[in-house]
Amino acid sequence: MPRVFFDDRSVEVAEGLTLLRAAESAGIHIPHFCYHPAFAPEGSCRMCLVEIEGLPKLELACSTLVKDGLKVRTMSPKVVEARKGVLEFLLAEHPLDCPICDKAGECKLQDYFEEYGLFRSQFKERKERREKKFKLGRNLILDRERCILCTRCVRFLNEITKTEDAGILNRGIYSEVGIFESEFIDNNYSGNLAQICPVGAITDSDFRFKTRVWFLESRESVCSLCSRGCNIIMDSHPGHPRTPRPRRVYRVRARLNPDVNSHWICDYGRYGYAYLDKDRQDKLVWKKGGRETRLSWDKAAQILAEKIRSLVLHKKNSRIGVILHANLTNEELFLADRLFRRGLGVEKFFLADPPPGEGDDFLLTPDRTANRRGLQEIGLPVQAPGLEALSGLDLLLIFGHYLAAGTSPAGLENALDKVETKALFSSHKTGLDGLVDFIIPVPVIAEKKGTLTNIDGRVQAFAAGLDFEGDGLPEWRALLDLAKELRVETKYFWPLTSPEAVFRALQKEIPFYK
Amino acid sequence: MEEKVLTRHFGVEGLFRIEVYREQGGYKAVEKALKQMTPAAVLDEVKKASLRGRGGAGFPAGVKWGFVPQNVPKPRYLCVNADEGEPGTFKDRYLMNHNPHLLLEGTIIASYAVGIHAAFIYIRGEYEAVALRLEAAIDEACRNGYLGKNILGTGFDLDVVVHRGAGAYICGEETALLESLEGKRGHPRLKPPFPASVGLFQCPTVINNVETLSNIPFIVQNGAEWFIRQGLPKDGGTRVFGVSGMVQKPGIYELPLGTNLRTIIFDYAGGMKDGKQLKAVIPGGMSAPILTADEIDLPMDFDSLAGAGSMLGSAAIIVIDKETSILDVLKSVANFYSHESCGQCTPCRIGTAWINKIVRRLADGEGEQDDIDAIIRLASNIKGKTLCPLGDAAALPILSICQKFRRELEGYLSHA
Repeated sequence: MPRVFFDDRSVEVAEGLTLLRAAESAGIHIPHFCYHPAFAPEGSCRMCLVEIEGLPKLELACSTLVKDGLKVRTMSPKVVEARKGVLEFLLAEHPLDCPICDKAGECKLQDYFEEYGLFRSQFKERKERREKKFKLGRNLILDRERCILCTRCVRFLNEITKTEDAGILNRGIYSEVGIFESEFIDNNYSGNLAQICPVGAITDSDFRFKTRVWFLESRESVCSLCSRGCNIIMDSHPGHPRTPRPRRVYRVRARLNPDVNSHWICDYGRYGYAYLDKDRQDKLVWKKGGRETRLSWDKAAQILAEKIRSLVLHKKNSRIGVILHANLTNEELFLADRLFRRGLGVEKFFLADPPPGEGDDFLLTPDRTANRRGLQEIGLPVQAPGLEALSGLDLLLIFGHYLAAGTSPAGLENALDKVETKALFSSHKTGLDGLVDFIIPVPVIAEKKGTLTNIDGRVQAFAAGLDFEGDGLPEWRALLDLAKELRVETKYFWPLTSPEAVFRALQKEIPFYK
Repeated sequence: MEEKVLTRHFGVEGLFRIEVYREQGGYKAVEKALKQMTPAAVLDEVKKASLRGRGGAGFPAGVKWGFVPQNVPKPRYLCVNADEGEPGTFKDRYLMNHNPHLLLEGTIIASYAVGIHAAFIYIRGEYEAVALRLEAAIDEACRNGYLGKNILGTGFDLDVVVHRGAGAYICGEETALLESLEGKRGHPRLKPPFPASVGLFQCPTVINNVETLSNIPFIVQNGAEWFIRQGLPKDGGTRVFGVSGMVQKPGIYELPLGTNLRTIIFDYAGGMKDGKQLKAVIPGGMSAPILTADEIDLPMDFDSLAGAGSMLGSAAIIVIDKETSILDVLKSVANFYSHESCGQCTPCRIGTAWINKIVRRLADGEGEQDDIDAIIRLASNIKGKTLCPLGDAAALPILSICQKFRRELEGYLSHA
């Protein structure tokens, strides 16, 4: 492996790397605008120029390949001066509208100016006036005054979506990003353009003017809107600092995972976060004799456990039914299997999932559930719930709110009417709510912790991207509580107190997860 | 009077027609190269001739050809750079207009030496008549067996296509030329890779200037030693100097490399026009740093001019007299590069425009004391930091004008 010296620090680096990447691997950041790891080097912003011993001119770190013995200076006066020069040029024609720019706070131009610039402007001329809100795409607004012409957007559309919708028009100082007239960018990946824009030139109309980024808290998560399992960042904040409100998601961004989604996510995943707030279950209720009573989960768990226990005691296991869905975590599906099928001998497992949608040939899968592969690998004997199969049950535990979507309301009402006790563990309000006896609010994937198995069999752990507000509890917790209450296999279930512990148990029993 | 080489037969009526060209000994070099020499022998002779590129950079042509890999399955291409956009330069237009077959002959030999079967002549769009003349010459050459399949029965094939540019200076930069030829926007490419390995349509490509290729037949005919004797050991042959500006006889003058600049202006070009006095000379096209009147005792070759802090470039000599305001010169230079910057990289895109804005303000009588320093600082921030040579081409003449004529420029500042 070649050995390169960065500012006298000797670093061993992989063959074929560019200086910029090699430096990054050694923890040295070389400033850049146009370079993006997903694209071939462009070399146009000139921000990454570094000094190489023995060469008269500064060289591009983004395109120069490492060579054994290369001595690179990333912070020499000449290099710092050059960076300052590039910043001076960029800022000369850049509007000073940071106070109303969504990018402020995470803008590379701002950051680098703090680090390498801090000069007084000597620009006495008139700045070029350009279009401030050009509709570039479905959710994209282009501010041509802020644009630094790094062409990341153009290259994304050429190299990633291969739709080639945008290009550079005109020449010299009049150069601008443009599209074909009346054909704005409309593909399922266009939201990435706002994310890869290093400045505030392309902003997202979904996020525009809604908040300042420094109020946001960024948490890592995994997208659950299809079975790809793209890695994401959820940016949320709890309302205005003086008037705290429940934490809300303001934006979902792609998080790098070379093995799953690279740097990208689809627009379906990016903009589909409204479900987090809309029609959420908030109260744990018991409906008895036409009256709705709020109660604690502990109490609900006692009642449900009592019901289960008496059915099992009377060998009426076959009168218990469980409806699951493929948006439960590996841990939850495993616990459902372990507790109901193997622990209590329940046989009737049904599946009610959100309907499939349209997929594309990149990331979005037609399957709109996050863990179908997990369901398959854990091996639950699930079947689609024919309504007639539900009749004759005494107890039905319904996980998920998807049952209402696939069936006729009257038929469903009829079928459920015959079931004595129905408990619904659901995150969202649907027509199902009126047909059940217990409603236990549960978090969505974004609000809980666990693992998912994506379409390619990749197991991904995630933590809560958002806090779960309201009465209920996550399904894994509910299942463990029921197990405790029922006192089945206490030695097995009692030590399981976290998703991690459940996953370790799962690993021991299911070869796929070893 | 020194012996002319490229322009020797310019006076002959109808030289652009193949019969006349052949009467003057034309296409003998192709016969010799294809029938008596191996490609390697041709390459070797060109290398020995110290033929340096006439487009401006002065890179040895033989060395450039030698960089083209021979053991790759891809086709190789030759691009003739006939974009001639450098202000002050008009030599290639004369060469192609008077003697198109000489260029074709050079093109055939170069292609033979490098193993090329398709050549493109990228000619600037404004040269409409020249392009038509080249196309007619290509037709004639095809009909006479010098182009097409099985040239002169030797089994060597070559097609030549004329491609017209659309008026951008940047397309004279070799990689922008390739992009333009591929049908894309004329933006320079990041180097490396160099065109010799990854060029037109990702294939190995040689790019030579019109004048460079026009020299090839003579090197083949007369040998490298003869060629060097026409010029200098490290800089063989003659140069077609294009003299313009305040001289008695503007025009093209073919002279040995190393001819004194003063001699060219005062002897060949007839001296200053109407008794005007010399103030400055731009010796190698607009991108060459300016020389003051007392700096012109210089041999005109690549190394001597580089040593004097300027460059031979395209050998276009622009003569400026004392009545011409240096601010007008600066205005013209600043405006040109700002207008022609392709806009791809930051320093050139914004730097040239910024300088142009300052210069325009100076010209409007609103210059301030620190403006000249600002221009120098900005030009220094462009120099050596751009993606392609256009940045230097803009920065160097601007720097030299501001440094050498600072006092005159200060005279234009407002003293309010």
